[in-house]
Parts: sequence; C-alpha cells; structure tokens
Amino acid sequence: MNKKRDRLAVIYDILDIIRNHHNSMKLTPLLRSANLSSNSFSDYYTELISKELVKEIVDSDGHKYVTLTDKGFKYLEKYKLISGFIEEFEL
Amino acid sequence: MAHPFMFEPVIFITEIAFTIISAVLCFMIFSKTKESYNLTKHDGIKYFRDAFLLFGLSYILRFILELIFLSGETFEFIIPREMFAPLFILGVGYVSTLGLWYLIFSSIWKRFSKKSLMITGHATAIILSVASFFLHSHLIILYAQFILLIIGVILIFRTGTKTKKISQTKILYMLTSFLWLINLFIIDKQGPPRIFGMWGLWIKIFFQIVSIVVFFVIYNKISHWLK
Repeated sequence: MNKKRDRLAVIYDILDIIRNHHNSMKLTPLLRSANLSSNSFSDYYTELISKELVKEIVDSDGHKYVTLTDKGFKYLEKYKLISGFIEEFEL
Repeated sequence: MAHPFMFEPVIFITEIAFTIISAVLCFMIFSKTKESYNLTKHDGIKYFRDAFLLFGLSYILRFILELIFLSGETFEFIIPREMFAPLFILGVGYVSTLGLWYLIFSSIWKRFSKKSLMITGHATAIILSVASFFLHSHLIILYAQFILLIIGVILIFRTGTKTKKISQTKILYMLTSFLWLINLFIIDKQGPPRIFGMWGLWIKIFFQIVSIVVFFVIYNKISHWLK
C-alpha cells in the first residue's frame, strides 16, 4: 500500500482486503493487513460501521467476523470513478 | 391603475427558457453526485453539489425577481413590487451568496475547519441579504458578491491545490460565478437591455447561452466520471 493515502483510499484498501478474503475476516488480521496504527484503524473501523460499508457477523462459535455490505461492494466498484471525479474537479 | 399592454414575448420566452434550462442542469449536477456523496461522505463533494443546488434555486428566485421588476412595465398585471421585491431580494441574496461560498469551499475545505467555513458562509449570506432587503436593492448583492468572487479566486489559487496553474475546472468555477453576477446584473433596470436598447437584449441572450454552455460542460464532465 502507498505510504500517503487519503481517507477514501484507506477505506478502499480496507474494503478490498476484506473482499479478497472471501468477504469474511476477523478484526486482528484485518488490522495487520490494513497497515495502520491501532488507533487509526479503530477510527476507520468505526467510520466503516457507521456508514454501513461493513457489518459484523458472529458465527455459531461466537467468533466475530467483518463482512462487506452491498454499499461496501458498491464503494469498491465506484471508487476509481469517484476518485477521478474528485481529482478532475479538485475537490 | 390601468397599464397599457406591452407584453414582450421574446424577453419572457428567453427568460423562462433560460431559467428552466439552467435550474434543471444545476439540479441534474446535484442529483448526479448524490451516489458518490452517499458512499463517501466526502466534504468536497458535499460543498460542490450543494453549490449547484443553491445556484439552481438562485436562478429560479432570480426569475421571479425579474418578473416582479418587469410586471407593470411589460405585463398587464402588476405584482406589488414594494411588497414582494425585497422578499425575493432577501432570498436571492442568501441562496446565491451561499452558493458562491460553497463553490469556493469545495476547493479549499481541506485547509479550514468545517465550523469556520460554515460560520463564514452563513454569516456573510445573512448580512448581505438583510442589507439588500432593507436597502431594497439587489445591486448590493451584486457588488458584494463581486468582492466575494475576487476573494474566492485568491483563496482558490493560494490555498486550493498544490498546482498554481489555471486548470479547466478552475476556469469553469470562475465562469459559473462570474456569469451568475452578469445574469443578476442584466435583470436590473439599468442593465444592458436599458443601456444598449435592442442590442441589450442580444447581449443578455448571449450571456444566457454562455451560462447554459458552462453548466452543460460541467454536467458533461461529471457524467464522464459518474455514469
């Protein structure tokens, strides 16, 4: 991952990691893969939950997993176009 | 008091067509950016789309204000100017000033706190609109927004982006703002139609066509990214 990532790129990277893990991932490996400090990851994770880009699911053994919502998939699909729009319009 | 019937269909048709096309294009820009804002909650997108929503409303209010100005001179009917004009001047002043600010904010929001931007935008819009309301003159809005436009251009070039070169987008932003001021000026009694006679009407139509082209170019550029 790039050293300097803007907020939208960080969100994209986190969502992409989850998608590449068959859309189901535990929090600790996600934190490791996201390449963020735990404080920073916690902020982003709260944001992802509040924006309904991801949701938590608990399996029958009580393990907590993170999975993408439809909105999360949509974000991944549209990210490059939205980034292009932001860049073009200097927003 | 009876007024002679002096309906000028060219003025009325061009005005109503211009207002509808401009407002629709502005609302289409607002609508086109809805999904990208909902997905990202990006502040730049928010200011950008809100600016066009406000411009759309401004053009509608401007049309109503012009109708009030024209009534009694152009039409058979008279809208009580003394009563309604200040109210619409108040509305145009507030909505358009905020629209201009939001367009500026969309480029500079990263350098300032959200709170300071909101206070600046709303406070300026309230002061300006209230002043024009009490002075019964939309020209106050025009002069103040011209100063605002200069401040905006300075801010965008000094704090907006790393590159100082004039991009096509910056030109479009400046044109959108500048053309709003022109379109506000030309509804005035002392505007081009009164100064230049019949040529004034063509000057007015020219600027209206340019405004529509600018909105269309912006919408087209957005459509390229946000299909």
